[in-house]
Amino acid sequence: MIVCVAVVGHQNNPLYLQSFTEADDALKLHHVVHCSLDVIDERVNNPKRNAPTLNETFLGLLYPTENYKVYGYLTNTKVKFLMVTTDLDVKDADARNFFRKFHAAYVDAVSNPFHVPGKKIASRSFGARVSTIVKSFGSGTTV
Amino acid sequence: MGREVAGSCLDGVVMEMVSAYCGRFYAAKPELAAGRIEAIGFQVGHQLSERYTMDRPRFTDHLEAIKFICKDFWSELFKKQIDNLKTNHRGTFVLQDNCFPWLTHVSLDPSMESTDATESDPALLGDTAAQTTSMLLYFPCGIIRGALTNLGIPCAVSADMSNLPACSFVVRIKT
Amino acid sequence: MDPLRSYLGRLLLEDITPVVMVLTTPLAEAACRRSGLSFVDMLSPFSLFKKIDVPVRTASDQPYRLQMFKIRMVYASDIHKQDHEVADERIKLVVSEANEKTLPDLLADPPQLEDVVNKPEAELCPLWTKRFNRELIRTLSFSDHETFDHPVACLLVVSSKDKEPISKFADLFNTNQLPSLLNEGIMDPQILKHYLVLHDQQDGPQEIAVNILAEMRSTLGLNDCKLLCINSSAQAHGSDADNSWLPYKAHGLHNHEGACFLNTDDLNEIKDFMQDFASNHIIPYMEQKIRVLNQQVATTRKGFRNQIKNLWWRKRDDVPEAANGPMYTFTSIESQIRVLGDYAFMLRDYELALSNYRLLSTDYKLDKAWKRFAGVQEMSGLCYFMLDQSRKDAEYCMENAFSTYLRIGSSGQRNATRCGLWWAEMLTTRGQHREASSVYFRISNEEPSLHSAVLLEQAACCYLLSSPRMLRKYGFHLILAGNSYYLSDQKQHAVRAYRNALFVYKQNPWSYINNHVHYNVGRWYGVLGIFDVAIKHLLEVVACSHQSLTTQSMFLNDFFHFVQSTGKKFDVYKLQLPVFNMSSLRVVHEDHRTYASNADVDVSESIWQELEEEMIPSSSVVRTNWLDTQPKSSPFKNNKASVCVAGEAVKLNVEVKNPLQISVNVSGISLICQLSTTMDASSAEKGTLSAATEEDIATTKPSILTFKSDENNFTVSSLDIVLGGGETKRIQLEVTPKVIGILKLVGIRWTLSDSVVGYQYFEVSTQKKTKKGKRGAHRSLNNILIVIKALPKLTGYIDCLPTKAFTGDLQLLTLNLRNQSEHAVKNVKMKISHPRFVIPGGSSDLDLEFPQCLRKHVQSDSNVVSSKSTKEKFKGFLFAFPQDIKIQGGATFSWPIWFHAATPGNLSLYLSLYYEMESTTDIPYRTLRTHYNVEVLPSLDVSFAVSMCSSRLQEYIVRMDIMNRTLSESFALHQLSCVGTKWAVSTLPSCDSISLVETIPANQSVSCFFKIKDIGTNSCAEAADGSCGSDMVLSPGGSTDVFHISQSPIADFHYQERYHQGKLAKGPSSLLDFILIAKAVAANSSKSEQLLSHHTCQVALSQNPIWWLMEGPRTITHDFSKSCCEANIQLVIHNSSEHNISLGVVTSDGTLEKNQTIPSHESASGPGGWYDVSLENDVKAITSMKGTHPQKQSSESISPFVWCSLSSAQVDLKPNSSAKIPLKVCIFAPGTYNFSNYELHWKVHPSEAGQVDDNGRSGVGQGYPFYVTVLQGAR
Repeated sequence: MIVCVAVVGHQNNPLYLQSFTEADDALKLHHVVHCSLDVIDERVNNPKRNAPTLNETFLGLLYPTENYKVYGYLTNTKVKFLMVTTDLDVKDADARNFFRKFHAAYVDAVSNPFHVPGKKIASRSFGARVSTIVKSFGSGTTV
Repeated sequence: MGREVAGSCLDGVVMEMVSAYCGRFYAAKPELAAGRIEAIGFQVGHQLSERYTMDRPRFTDHLEAIKFICKDFWSELFKKQIDNLKTNHRGTFVLQDNCFPWLTHVSLDPSMESTDATESDPALLGDTAAQTTSMLLYFPCGIIRGALTNLGIPCAVSADMSNLPACSFVVRIKT
Repeated sequence: MDPLRSYLGRLLLEDITPVVMVLTTPLAEAACRRSGLSFVDMLSPFSLFKKIDVPVRTASDQPYRLQMFKIRMVYASDIHKQDHEVADERIKLVVSEANEKTLPDLLADPPQLEDVVNKPEAELCPLWTKRFNRELIRTLSFSDHETFDHPVACLLVVSSKDKEPISKFADLFNTNQLPSLLNEGIMDPQILKHYLVLHDQQDGPQEIAVNILAEMRSTLGLNDCKLLCINSSAQAHGSDADNSWLPYKAHGLHNHEGACFLNTDDLNEIKDFMQDFASNHIIPYMEQKIRVLNQQVATTRKGFRNQIKNLWWRKRDDVPEAANGPMYTFTSIESQIRVLGDYAFMLRDYELALSNYRLLSTDYKLDKAWKRFAGVQEMSGLCYFMLDQSRKDAEYCMENAFSTYLRIGSSGQRNATRCGLWWAEMLTTRGQHREASSVYFRISNEEPSLHSAVLLEQAACCYLLSSPRMLRKYGFHLILAGNSYYLSDQKQHAVRAYRNALFVYKQNPWSYINNHVHYNVGRWYGVLGIFDVAIKHLLEVVACSHQSLTTQSMFLNDFFHFVQSTGKKFDVYKLQLPVFNMSSLRVVHEDHRTYASNADVDVSESIWQELEEEMIPSSSVVRTNWLDTQPKSSPFKNNKASVCVAGEAVKLNVEVKNPLQISVNVSGISLICQLSTTMDASSAEKGTLSAATEEDIATTKPSILTFKSDENNFTVSSLDIVLGGGETKRIQLEVTPKVIGILKLVGIRWTLSDSVVGYQYFEVSTQKKTKKGKRGAHRSLNNILIVIKALPKLTGYIDCLPTKAFTGDLQLLTLNLRNQSEHAVKNVKMKISHPRFVIPGGSSDLDLEFPQCLRKHVQSDSNVVSSKSTKEKFKGFLFAFPQDIKIQGGATFSWPIWFHAATPGNLSLYLSLYYEMESTTDIPYRTLRTHYNVEVLPSLDVSFAVSMCSSRLQEYIVRMDIMNRTLSESFALHQLSCVGTKWAVSTLPSCDSISLVETIPANQSVSCFFKIKDIGTNSCAEAADGSCGSDMVLSPGGSTDVFHISQSPIADFHYQERYHQGKLAKGPSSLLDFILIAKAVAANSSKSEQLLSHHTCQVALSQNPIWWLMEGPRTITHDFSKSCCEANIQLVIHNSSEHNISLGVVTSDGTLEKNQTIPSHESASGPGGWYDVSLENDVKAITSMKGTHPQKQSSESISPFVWCSLSSAQVDLKPNSSAKIPLKVCIFAPGTYNFSNYELHWKVHPSEAGQVDDNGRSGVGQGYPFYVTVLQGAR
């Protein structure tokens, strides 16, 4: 299951961070997300190590910690999406699919004329939509 | 059919916005009006670029981004592509559109096709027709700038219209 | 880089070295003790040979030279596996003694990115971590699955004093006290033995020892015996002992007590002994053993046949499944190979070692002896590293070893750690920092918290070293390290780790983490007792608005806890709790403008100015004449500073916001001020500058104290509030200067819940103080005030001015003024913004009781206000109090004020009082400004309709419609008056029941009729008696309490009404004003009766300038048998206007249809323009008959009578003249007839003098009904 999703702006400032766990490990998730940014930077700045997926938006598995897996996604507009999950074998297709939906939700959120670019996303509808996407993760259903 | 209607509506809205800003709100100081219109365009471009680059690989260099603007972005906006793109490879790009849709309804001579000219009626704007039309171009300039900025390319965009409805946008990338 | 030079290389060269087992007799030890050393301590400094430079020849034939060499001297009793508790204790010691070193730099500021980056690699993570690593590795020495810790040689030491030393040697080396390794047969007990006689010079001459040596030589063999003489120096000398020991101190040789009998030649002797021991015995022994073993291995294992055989032989199924495989005795080929490999490794023949290790690993794998396998893999990895070839193999081996160790569980766990440490070192040596850090991270998971903390810290450092620099991971791992430091209570280290990570989270708004870090750092500092730093860190998180309620309270509580535990109050600059909104800051100072209340201050200055404009002298004049009185007017020339008066409070309004969800109580909020009594400009300027740059004040901390100190110059108010969660309050602070000088408002100080004193300075932008007029001076914060000498000041208010009133409410109020100073003020004037609502009364009205004073019978000297009221009187009422009024110091002064709620709605009423000082002062005059908000509720809507009376000349029917719009109140009508002497109002003669309409309950409406009569023109008889006057009492109780309307204040208010109700008095003829006075019927009679006066002005009469009426007999008796009857009637017409009027009477027979055709044929004779009859003003004038007329016309289709005499008559009327027009009607049948079917058409010919408005220019009047009854006369 997905424990946390995050949107991080192009200055590595958190735009949206939502955890889906009952336990209050928000701090830990913050740390995990924050660390994964390092990996993203590394991947993007010297992409020699993953030549085929040179400039694909989906960055794949970033950061396998002991009990989390962090997947990353970098849009054309240098906005980073991160997804922290606990299940051990995540199919790449699932992750891609998830991020595609998530990106769509994000685009709609920032297209809101009242959203100030670079500020935290406060839209409630966005949150609801994200939670549905998260719930549908893994099960092949489409939102 | 519906698209045409929507398109013409959009043209009207754009014209009206321009005339409203330079005619009513900032009639005295056109540069202020230009700034506002450009800002609006900036936001629009900023958001549209987010949407239209959704499922495509990231751009490796500036030229790719500009090409995207010329091709896909432009055709999303105007159902046509930029006709001609020139660059000096030093961060300056010239996007030439031989028939810019938002200028097709504008004619510099108020006497003919006065219905369309009303939006850009010099008397209304208290301004010469050429400047008025250039007002119309601040909006697309803003759109381009917003899109490119969102793609991580800070730049300055200016436009000039040689002979209507052709016009060309000059993009100078800030380094 | 050469692996031997690298840190790992040196580590291996020093740690994986031949071990010499030392066995000593007690006497020998005692001899060493004499010079304060154990035997091993004495020898160990000499066991490291920098340049031993001996040729070595192992299996291969060509020899190579060995440069550096080291042997480890270990007591036999120490050769055993250590239990982990002891080891961990030792390690804990290492960590905790590093604490003391870290303490000082904890007091310094936390490091920033750049000074972390600029550090050299070595210092990134503290040096003691290397020691820690070594200790960690040492805990594994003498394990049984690897042989490089097994003793290579054995040194037996006997003192020369021992009885029969030879036998001593024997029982020194008897097995029951040998280490378990030998006994269990894990290692070969046949090791190199070396015999040493230790002779203490002070025990006697050397001969004994020599003899013993000779004896040994004969028995134990020639060259395995040595003699060592020590303590040859006569007396204990500490002094030159030092310099002689100096070169060896470095090698960890410490003699504890100063008494040391070793002298230089003793040392040299030891040195030579060791040299000889190493080069002539140990190394050759190892060489030789290597060769032998190699031979065996070659015979048994090398070659194809042996391989096959070995494989087949290993294929036995009874492989015991032990964790470390089957038991391998030293005779087993595997352990021999291992020994061979280790010896080769120690002699740096890494190829040989590697080949053997490889060979061995396959065997162990086949035997599933995993621990051994891992150890071999580990060694071969090290070999690869030392050979500096094929990194991949090296890493593969290490990885393999590591995972294997982990797989076999707890027994191999510490080995895994060691392997990991080596591996990580290997990676760092090759610059692969990221992999190294990940290795550190992996082993940190296996270790107890303390160890893992250190390991995590190293991992963090590796992230910092890696390129690209991974700051976030650096931070994260530091946080993890600090956390586990904290768990294994190493607070200093925890703090150090956290604060090193601080800068990572500074730049980005990752507030969550940032708060966590700051909070913990602060907390732990507090635990360490470094409170000021703790508080500094906690301040960062105290004002976090985004955290949850519980978190906030937790932060706050700890903060207060530490603050209180410091004991003293803290001065915190720019404390963020609560937040003072500096943009909302506003200084209110009273120079010549004084305010009655705070609300008045917020009224925009422009309103006051336009109110006061003709009351006060022009401001420029003021400024000059009071500025020139200043001794030094230079700073004030350009209106930089504004003025306040000594003894009067300067107020400062500011908004306070509580960012938290918890309510905090803030006490002692007060201003920080500075009053420099020196008036010279320079100091003032300096003051402004220092205030403008608020940093330097911040730096000069003690300045606050000085600010507080001088209580004799000024007093500051102090305010205590409690701010609820997220609450914002607007507070007002005051400072009252006492002496003349320059007052500077520097900042605000407050106390947060009695523990923390926060203070904040005003940012004063100097360009802000460029003059923007008075208003600007008010709005923009100028904190420099010039205190001038005390002035008289009036305070005042209107007594009990209602905030809610009903429309028309009339009250008598008093304006109370108080002069607090001792000087008198004179020449008081007052300006009122809405004279329609408030007008000052006369001096005499004060002692009158209300409302009796308004009654007629009260014969007060009624100062009837002149009717000619100028326009500007209405838009602002300037009232000058009588000149003789002086308000003495300390005196109070009251003046009557009339209040009349004229129109419903919300009204804000502005009053400004102007007064001048009696004594000459800096400011010649002052103004007292006050404003009130009154909400006027609708009460009674009164409307009048006037129509002509058809029966009498110059009489009108008045219909009064009253609607009570209140919800609950009911009102009693008291009196109706029409203004002016010209009109008399009376009830209709027929119905006196009008007086029954007394009270109008809520939401009811009544309409009643009156008659008014023009008594101006012809003073008729009944004008004399009081029956009809200009007033009419509606309530029972006679004319005793009739209110006098032509007397102030009602008259005054009436003029105001008249002005405000729009139209100005034109001719009193056609318009008239009514005043309806009502009383509120009080539900409880306790409250004084409330008087309402409703003014309805300019009620239009019918516009006709003429009146007419029919005269003639009402009943005629006629005998219709002989002829038709003729009735003579006449029409009396009066012209009331002052113009000539030409007028025509048009009689029309029959129905209205004909009637309407009349004008068309009349149009020839009369002038045109008769058609534009606006029906509207007819309707207004004669509503009454308009209703009845049409159906009468329709009822009788043809009229049974005809006008005989004339069909139309023309007359001209002079102004105010009357004319009679005879008319004749002939009637054909008896009956009652209405001769109303005639019209009057008139046209006004304006005289040159006056002009008439258009609607009065010409008109048509329908005839009034005039009924005549004709009877059949008797014959």
